[in-house]
Amino acid sequence: MPPPAYLGEFEQLLLLAIARLGDRAYGLDIARELEDRAGRVVSRGALYTSLDRLEDKGLLRWRAAEGTPARNGLPRRLYVVTPAGMAALRASRDTLRRMWHGLEHLFKEPTS
Amino acid sequence: MTTQTPPRVAEWLLRRTLPAGTRGQSILGDLVEEWREAGATPRATLRFWRHALSLALRYSVKHDRSHGHPPERSDDMFLDNLRNDLRYAVRSYAKAPAFTLIILTTLALGIGASTAIFSMVNGILLQPLPLPDPDRLVYANEVNGKGVVISMAWPNYVDWRARAQSFQSLANSRDEPYTLTGVDRAQRLRGRRVTGNFFQTLGVSPVLGRGFTEEDDRPNTPPAVVISEPFWRTQLGADPAIIGRTLQLNDAAHTVVGVLPRDFQFVRPYDVFVSMGPMAGERNLLDRGNHTGFYALGRLKPGVSVEAAGAELRSIAASLEHEYPNTNTGVSVRAERLADRLVTDIRLTLLVLFGAVGFLLLIACVNVANLLVARGAARQHELAVRAALGGSRRRLVSQMLVESTLVSIAGGALGVGAGAWLLRALVAVAPEGTPRIADVRLDAAALAFAFAAAAICGLVFGALPAFQASGDAGQQVLVRGRAAGFASRSHRLRRGLMVVETALALVLLTGAGLMMRTLHELTQVETGFRSDHLVTTRFSLAGEQWTRPKRVAFYNELQSRLRAVPGISDAAFTYSLPIDGSNWNSIFIVGDKPVPPRSQLPSAAFTPVSAGFFETMGMRLIRGRFFDGTDSATAPKVTVINESLAKRLWPGEDAVGKRLKQGWPETPNEWREVVGVVADVKLNGVAAETPMQAYLPLPQEPPESMAIVARTQGDPAAAGPAIEAAMQQLNKDLPLFQIRTMDDVLGTSLARQRMSMLVFVIFALVALTLASIGLYGVVAHGVTERMHEIGVRIALGAEQWHVVGMIVRQGLSMALVGTAIGVAGAIALSRWIQSLLFGVTATDPATLAAVVTVLLAVAVVACSVPAWRATRVDPTSALRAE
Repeated sequence: MPPPAYLGEFEQLLLLAIARLGDRAYGLDIARELEDRAGRVVSRGALYTSLDRLEDKGLLRWRAAEGTPARNGLPRRLYVVTPAGMAALRASRDTLRRMWHGLEHLFKEPTS
Repeated sequence: MTTQTPPRVAEWLLRRTLPAGTRGQSILGDLVEEWREAGATPRATLRFWRHALSLALRYSVKHDRSHGHPPERSDDMFLDNLRNDLRYAVRSYAKAPAFTLIILTTLALGIGASTAIFSMVNGILLQPLPLPDPDRLVYANEVNGKGVVISMAWPNYVDWRARAQSFQSLANSRDEPYTLTGVDRAQRLRGRRVTGNFFQTLGVSPVLGRGFTEEDDRPNTPPAVVISEPFWRTQLGADPAIIGRTLQLNDAAHTVVGVLPRDFQFVRPYDVFVSMGPMAGERNLLDRGNHTGFYALGRLKPGVSVEAAGAELRSIAASLEHEYPNTNTGVSVRAERLADRLVTDIRLTLLVLFGAVGFLLLIACVNVANLLVARGAARQHELAVRAALGGSRRRLVSQMLVESTLVSIAGGALGVGAGAWLLRALVAVAPEGTPRIADVRLDAAALAFAFAAAAICGLVFGALPAFQASGDAGQQVLVRGRAAGFASRSHRLRRGLMVVETALALVLLTGAGLMMRTLHELTQVETGFRSDHLVTTRFSLAGEQWTRPKRVAFYNELQSRLRAVPGISDAAFTYSLPIDGSNWNSIFIVGDKPVPPRSQLPSAAFTPVSAGFFETMGMRLIRGRFFDGTDSATAPKVTVINESLAKRLWPGEDAVGKRLKQGWPETPNEWREVVGVVADVKLNGVAAETPMQAYLPLPQEPPESMAIVARTQGDPAAAGPAIEAAMQQLNKDLPLFQIRTMDDVLGTSLARQRMSMLVFVIFALVALTLASIGLYGVVAHGVTERMHEIGVRIALGAEQWHVVGMIVRQGLSMALVGTAIGVAGAIALSRWIQSLLFGVTATDPATLAAVVTVLLAVAVVACSVPAWRATRVDPTSALRAE
């Protein structure tokens, strides 16, 4: 297995959002998840081109689902994170963990 | 916002830029879903647009997927450049506010005006009627030997219907106003009498109840009425149980059988449609020589053309002529598409205005080109420096493109506002009763077209300088220190554009001049009556209880009551109102001349009027006497004729004492003696020739409907309530309608010409302004370029006037060439405008001379300003600058 791909911060957020949404992750929900949970208002141009890029890297894939009348019958793309994607996420998390290790006291959350 | 379609232009943009297939569709779907969930509000639409733009930007710069992706940074670089270019463009426009203002105004005017006019043409002429398959609807009518529409005789309609093969169905209908009584206050309704197959022919079915059927055409069927949705809603409170209720129309109970769909409209708004049954079998309807105001409406069988159907009807008319020579001689057919029929009157006006708007758009484009070329020439040096320092051609061009696009978008946005405003103004001044005026909306396609024209023009001429600067010649600019190379090239281009612009402006000015002359001529027309202090209104005495003697008695009583109203000095009645048009035309014969063949019988407007009518109107008696109280129903039958009739029938003779008889030679009408001749009044509008006219004394021919004319001492517009009160006292069930001053009647009849004039004058002024700005710019630029030369001349002792003359001469030479081309163009286009003119020919030398003078005068001023500045050149500084 090749070494896990390097993930940019935004890419991490995207993959995490998809993983959180489970099997119903499509563009609009992903944008909302990023907005609600990460406080990121993301331009649609950046959103979809980044999703495409992650797909090209083999970190996610999608299947088409039928559209509803509310979307003029246009199809949805339901995204899932691939095993390679999961591996990349895990590697990123591990890297971060290692870097955080021993620094917790510097960033102690105020208690109470 | 109630419409459930996301912004169409944004959607189109996305479909163009997003990848094909599920990939792109799903993105679009996400946006649509979000938009709809947000309630499809304007705010959501704004957001949709923002998303669409960000997507379009990203995806249009993304490379083909099959070649892999460029690194993420490439996007950012593009965006950075774009951001820089935008910032730079805004700054450079802000630095030249005059230039920016002029170019934005030009774009706003050009785009706005052309969009407004196109929207009008589109709404009225081009959009299909809101009826199913409107192209198969044919309006057919009978015409007499002179081609004048005389409406259909009922028996001829019955024969058409039996014999014609071209139609799926053939209906008949006519205008018939009704008085609604049995309600709080009697009301005048707009009604149409229609055959049982009328609604099937149109392809409309009621939303409530039923339409008419053949059954409703039979005599002795109970009277039925189908009502319009607005009438049902506003007058009957949208009563859901309306079907089966009765309305009292002209004093007869009519059962409501149906309510039409909300958006249904036939020709003009109607309140009620009434069935034929009650009048079926009436004597005057069965008279083949009596053309009773009906108009046939046919739905063609699929595949049959209007022309073929018209030919068939004409051949039927020809056989009817054989079968019934007494009544049908000379009677032929006119058949046309219903949609064409509706707009016959206004069509030419709109097409000419459309032409004018094309010219204005062209002028605007030329002006934009001119301004950008000038700006480009001024920036040659800057661009050449940037090219020399390593700015790639792509970067230079793209920056110029960003600048052009920015100004185009801003101008376009202003154009939308200008267009919406202008369209509102146009709809407001449009002639009363302009068909389909309610359908007129600012047209998105037109807006897009005008916008694209201006934008392309801006892009082409905006990018030109960048291409030039980055070429070899750019280096020469640097080397020589002056932009002489390009400057002369671009100067030639600008001079060419200037000539074009002058020529276009001259054509528009000519149109404006001609329309102004026309309106002036029309207001100078001798109408034959005094229109000031005159108020008019109509009413009718419909229904069986109004026998002839009762009508006469009522008219007499009303007249004496009206005359007693304070502020009214005189009042009278007439069947047809001057300017408004004749309501009764008929053939007639005269007593002392041989009777001509049937097809050549003379025809006149017959107008029953009360005693005092001529005096009230202020008409002039030429011979004999006016009507008076002695012309009663039982007195000898008499008539007063107009001058045209007297001159036509009895040229060189005294018409008083002659006799004439209304109707066919064999009609048993009584002979009438001519007792007076009055001066002509303009009967059928200000521009139309006055027809032969015969006035009949009201008691001898009392119609069911009359117009009141009253001369007032004070403001005629204020007399309405007093007249209404007098009427109410006499009979509360008789509504008055169309209370207008005679000056308004006159004004309305000129509305079409006034609208054309207004548009032309506005356009011409805009064109003149643009052209003079352009001319000023070119000349001023020329002066700047020749500063050195001028300095030398002045240093060598040239006189000031000599310098001024030289520069003005050069500017004027462009204007003269443009004027010459423009005059030729105006003459070439003259036949298009001729039909809109009155009292002036399209090649009127005086108008052309005036227009040329105005244009050249403006040109001289535009050239003199920079010329005068040139004389102030300080020779030493001009030379030192070298």
